[in-house]
Amino acid sequence: MMWLTSKSAKALGAVKRPTNASGLLTLCFLSLLVLLPFAEVNAQDNPSSEASKRANSQQWQQTLASAQGETVYFYAWGGSKPVNDYLRWAAKEVARRYKIRLRHVKVADISEAVSRLKVENGRNSAIDLLWINGENFNFLKSQHLLLGDLWQQIPNSALLATKKLSLHSDFGVPMDGFEVPWGVGQFNVMANKGLFDHETLTPETLLNAAKQNPGRISYPRPPEFHGTTFLKQLLVALSHDDKRLYESATPTAQNELLPLLWNYLDRLHPLTWQQGKAFPSSNTEQLSLLQQHQLALAVSFNPNQLAKEQSEKRIPDSVERVYFAQGAITNSHNLAVPKGAQNPNGAKVVINFLLSEQAQRQKLKGNWGDPSVITPVLDNASTLPAQQELHSSWQQIIEDSWQQKYGA
Amino acid sequence: MSSVTSTLFLSLSAPLLALYVAFMVYSQYRFNPRWQALEKRLAPLLSLPHLAVALGLVYLFSPGGMVYSAFAGIIGHAAPDWLGLPRKSLLTMILAISIKEVPFFLLIFSALGRQLAIKDWLLQGRALGYSESASWWLLVFPIMLKQSRLALLAAMAYTLSVLDISLLIGPNIPELYAVALYNWQTGFTSADQANAFLGNLLLLIMLATLITGIYLHEWLVVMRLRTNAVMAKPLNIARLSRVFTAWLGFFSLLTVAILVTFLLWSLGWNSQSTLSSINWSPALWQDEWFFMQGPLLNSLHIAFFSSILGVAITLLALELQQQSQRYLPDYIWLLAILLPQLSMVHGWRIAHSDLSASYTTSWIILTHIPFTFAYSYLVLRGPFQSLNRHYELVAASFGYTYWQRWWQIRFMLLRPALLSALAIAFSVSIAQYIPTLIIGAGRITTITTEAVAIASGNEQSITAVYMLVQAILPFIAFLIASVLAQRIRGSFDATHH
Amino acid sequence: MLRIINCHISTDHWRIELPDIFLQSGELLVLTGPSGMGKSTFLHWVLGDTIKHANISGEIHLNDVSLNALSIEKRCIGLLMQDVHLFPHLNVLDNICFALPSSAKDKGGQKLNKNQRKEAAMRLLNKIDMGYVGEHFAEQLSGGERSRVGLIRALANQPKALLMDEPFAALDPQTCAQVSQWAFEQLHTQGVPAIMVSHDINNIPPEAQHLDLAKYYRRIAS
Repeated sequence: MMWLTSKSAKALGAVKRPTNASGLLTLCFLSLLVLLPFAEVNAQDNPSSEASKRANSQQWQQTLASAQGETVYFYAWGGSKPVNDYLRWAAKEVARRYKIRLRHVKVADISEAVSRLKVENGRNSAIDLLWINGENFNFLKSQHLLLGDLWQQIPNSALLATKKLSLHSDFGVPMDGFEVPWGVGQFNVMANKGLFDHETLTPETLLNAAKQNPGRISYPRPPEFHGTTFLKQLLVALSHDDKRLYESATPTAQNELLPLLWNYLDRLHPLTWQQGKAFPSSNTEQLSLLQQHQLALAVSFNPNQLAKEQSEKRIPDSVERVYFAQGAITNSHNLAVPKGAQNPNGAKVVINFLLSEQAQRQKLKGNWGDPSVITPVLDNASTLPAQQELHSSWQQIIEDSWQQKYGA
Repeated sequence: MSSVTSTLFLSLSAPLLALYVAFMVYSQYRFNPRWQALEKRLAPLLSLPHLAVALGLVYLFSPGGMVYSAFAGIIGHAAPDWLGLPRKSLLTMILAISIKEVPFFLLIFSALGRQLAIKDWLLQGRALGYSESASWWLLVFPIMLKQSRLALLAAMAYTLSVLDISLLIGPNIPELYAVALYNWQTGFTSADQANAFLGNLLLLIMLATLITGIYLHEWLVVMRLRTNAVMAKPLNIARLSRVFTAWLGFFSLLTVAILVTFLLWSLGWNSQSTLSSINWSPALWQDEWFFMQGPLLNSLHIAFFSSILGVAITLLALELQQQSQRYLPDYIWLLAILLPQLSMVHGWRIAHSDLSASYTTSWIILTHIPFTFAYSYLVLRGPFQSLNRHYELVAASFGYTYWQRWWQIRFMLLRPALLSALAIAFSVSIAQYIPTLIIGAGRITTITTEAVAIASGNEQSITAVYMLVQAILPFIAFLIASVLAQRIRGSFDATHH
Repeated sequence: MLRIINCHISTDHWRIELPDIFLQSGELLVLTGPSGMGKSTFLHWVLGDTIKHANISGEIHLNDVSLNALSIEKRCIGLLMQDVHLFPHLNVLDNICFALPSSAKDKGGQKLNKNQRKEAAMRLLNKIDMGYVGEHFAEQLSGGERSRVGLIRALANQPKALLMDEPFAALDPQTCAQVSQWAFEQLHTQGVPAIMVSHDINNIPPEAQHLDLAKYYRRIAS
C-alpha cells in the first residue's frame, strides 16, 4: 500500500500543483521574517505578532510535539467537491508540516456526528474534530460535550477578524471558546440572467419569475439548512423585517408571522419544480439541476461560489448572483473538538493550521472560495450586505411546520 | 400518500413486479436454447449493484439525462419534462428496484426449477389441451410462488429499509420511511430518540404487514389460478409472457448503457456538452485514483474476509445440520436478510458503542458476515444437500475416514458452487452501506460509502468514477469465479443434479 | 381410428423403419424393445413434442385428420407417464376438473359451472369406487391410486387416442397386474385407441397388438 500511495502522490504532485504550495510557503516565511522584529514591540495591537507569540509559548510547543504522529478524524459534510478538494490539500500540508494524518470523514449531515457524540456521551469518541454551527453547536454546548478554551489555546485565533465580523456568537448562542470560526456564509442565489430585473430579489419578483418559468424554480428540502435559510429570508421579507424574529419565538409572534410565509408558499409551490411534489435534497443537487437546465436558480451560502463555478466552466456565464433585498443572511461556520476526542492535540494543531493565513487564503482563492475569517485575508469585494440570523428558536419551528404542511 | 403507505406500496409492488417479470422471462427461456446464454450471463448481471442501476437510470432517462438529451437533439427542441423519468419519485424507485431484482428472482427460479419436474408438467398440461404459456401459469406458477416466499420476503425487507437509493432517487415529499427513520436514529433531540425507538417498532410492524401481504397475495393468486384450472380456462395474461423473450438482450443492453454512461461522464462528458465539444481526458481518474486507493483497499479487505468467513460458516452450518440430522428452518439462517437492516444495525451500533469498541475493519467484517453468510447459505444449501451420497459411500468402502471423504469428495465436488457463493458473498459485502457507515462511524470508508457521499453532491462525473469502480469489483469477482470454475472439470453435474 | 404410416426413426448410428400401424377404437398396441431404441422418442413424436436426439418422419392420422402440422395441445391425444404427474398444488378433484374440457356441457346444453364440474369429476371417481380420494393431494395417494387417478384424469379430457409410457412400471408386480388389467378394460369400454410402451414382454394382454422395435432395427455402417 505504501509504495502505491507514495508513487501516486508524487505523480499527483507533479501533475497538479507544481509550484503553488512552495511559492506560498516562501511567501509565508518571508512575511514571518518581516513581522518578526515587530513581534516583541507591538504584541497587543498586531494580531499576527500576538499569534506568533502564542505559537512560541511552551504550552503550544508541547501541543505540537504530542500531536506528532496522531491521526485526526475530521467529521465534515462531504457533498461538495471544492470543499473535499480543499481538505485534501489541507491534509497534505498538515502531514508535511506537523506529521499529522488528517482524515476527512464525509458525512451527509453533521447531525449524524452530533447524535454519535450523544450516544458516546463523552466517552472515547470516534470524532476528533467537527465542522458545525447553529442548532448542532447549541446542543453540544448545552450537553457539555465540547472541549472549551479553544480561543485561548489556539495561537491563530488571535488573527480572527472579530472587529469586522460578528464572530463571538453562533445563531445568537455565545461561542465561549467551544468552537472557533472557520469561514463565513452569506446566503445568495445563482439565477439565470433575466430571471430577476435587479441584483436583489423579493418574494414578489420570485413569484413572478416562477409564473413566467413554471417548473424551473425550487429550493432544497428543509430541514436541509440551505432550504431552511431560504424560508427564513422569505419570512424576513414578508414580515418587513419584524423585530420579533430576532427574539425567542412566542406563540403570538408565530401566529402572526408564520401565516405570511405559508400563504406565500401556497401560491409558489404549484409553480415550482415537479409542482412542489419533490424538492432537491440539497443545494448541491439543486446546483446540478441548474447545470442541466432543469432549474433556473440554485441557492448558495458561499458568495464566491458562482465565480468559482464559472471559472471552472461548470456553470455558464448566463448565470448571475443575486440576493434578497433585505440583505444576505450571514453566519459563520465553525470548528469544534469533542470532549471525548482521542487526539485533541492533533485537532487543535489542525484548527490552528486552518486559521493560518495560508490556509485561509487558499480557501478563499482556491476552488472553494469560502470567505476568510482572519484579518490579514479579509475580502471585502465579494461581501454582500448582511442580514442578521434569526433567533435560533425559529429554526425548529419553521422546519417542523414546513414538514407538517408540505413534507408529509 | 404518507411516508408509511408509500413505503409499503413500494416494498410490496417492486419485488412482486420483479417476481412476475422474472417468471415470464424464465418461462420464455427455460426450455429454449437461449437458456444457456441466460444462465451464463445471470451472475454478472446479478452483480450490478443496486446503486448503479438506480443512478444509471437517472443519468440515462431523467430530464437532462443522456437518452433524454439525445432524443431532444433528434427532434430539435427540448422534450417535455413528463417524457423523462422523474429524478426523485416513487415511480423511479419502483422501476429501479424491480429492474434490479429480476435477475435475483431468476437465480431463485433457476435453483427451484432443478428440483421440480416442470418439463413433465408442461407436457402433461399440453397433452390435456392447454397452450404452453397457459400451462406455465396454471401449473408451474403456483408452486414457484409458494417456494419463493423467502426470496420475496428478502427482496421486500431490503426495499423496506434501503437507505442509499432512497436518499438519492426516492421521493422526498413525503420522504421514504427508511430516510425518516434514519434521520430519527441519527437525530439528537429527545423527540428524535423517542421517534427512533417507536420508528423501529413501526418498521417491524411494516415488515409483518409485508409478510401478511405475501401470504394474502399468494392466497389470492393461487385461488384465482385454481379456479381457472378447475374451469379449464386458460389465462388471458399468459400471452404477455412473449414480450419477455427479449429480456436478456434488453437487460444486457441496459447494463452496458449504464456502464457506458458512467464511463462517458468520468471521461469528461457533462450536461453542457455536445459530442463535438467534449474534451475527453482521463484526468479525473488520475486525480481520484490517489484518493480512491484507501477506500478501495478497505472494500477489498472487508469483502475478502467477510466472504470467506461467511462461506466457511455456511459450510459449518450445513455440515452440523447434516451430522445431527436436525434441520433448522431456512428463515432462521436467512434472518439477516429477512429483517430490516436499518433496525438491526441500529441495535448493533448501540451495542458497539456500549462496548466502547474500536472503529476498525475487523468490526466491519464482523457486521458484514451475517449478510455474506445469508446469501451464501441461499446459494449453497441446494448443492450441499442434494449432493449424491453414493460418491462418499464408494469412498467409504475404500476405507477413507469421514473427514478424508468430506474433504476429498464432498468439498471437491462442491467447488464450483463454493466459487459462486464466494463471488456472491463478495459482491454483497462490496455493496453494504448501512453497517459500514454506522459501525465504522464513517471512519472506515469503502468504495460504496464514498460513492454515496459523493453522489449526494452535484459532481456527476466523480460519482460516475466511483459507480464504475463499485460495479466492476463484483464483476471481477464473478469473472474470476467463472474462470476457476471452468477449470474444475466434471463437478457441475454432481452438484446440480 | 389412429393410423401411422411410413414412419422412420434414425440417428447417426441406426435406423428403424416401422411397419404401418392401424388402431381401431378401443384397440391397444404394445411397443417393446431394448432401451435406447427410440420407444419413448416415438411416443413423444406422436404426442407432438419436439424431438431432439433423433430424426423421425411419417404421417399420423387420427380419425382421418392429419396431425403432423398440429401442436400438442391441438392433437387431442392423452398422455400417461410412469410418474403420472398429478399436479401437486391441486387436489385429485381439481386435477380431474383441470382435464375436463372447458366446453363440457350439461344435458340442457349449458356450460358447467364450478360446482357442476366438480360433481362431474366426482362421478368419474365414484365410477371406480375412488370417491374417497377426491380431496386428497398427490402425496397422500398410494402408487396404485395415483396410476388410477392418472388414467381417470387422462380419460376425463376425452382424448381421441392415448399414449402410455410404461405407466405401471413403478408398481409392485401384483398391483401392476391389477391396475393394468383395469386400465385396459377402461380404454376398451371408452373406445380409445392406445399405444403403450412397455418393458414387460411377459405381460401383454392377449387382445393387444404387439410391435417389437428390435425386429426393425438396423445399424448404419460407418
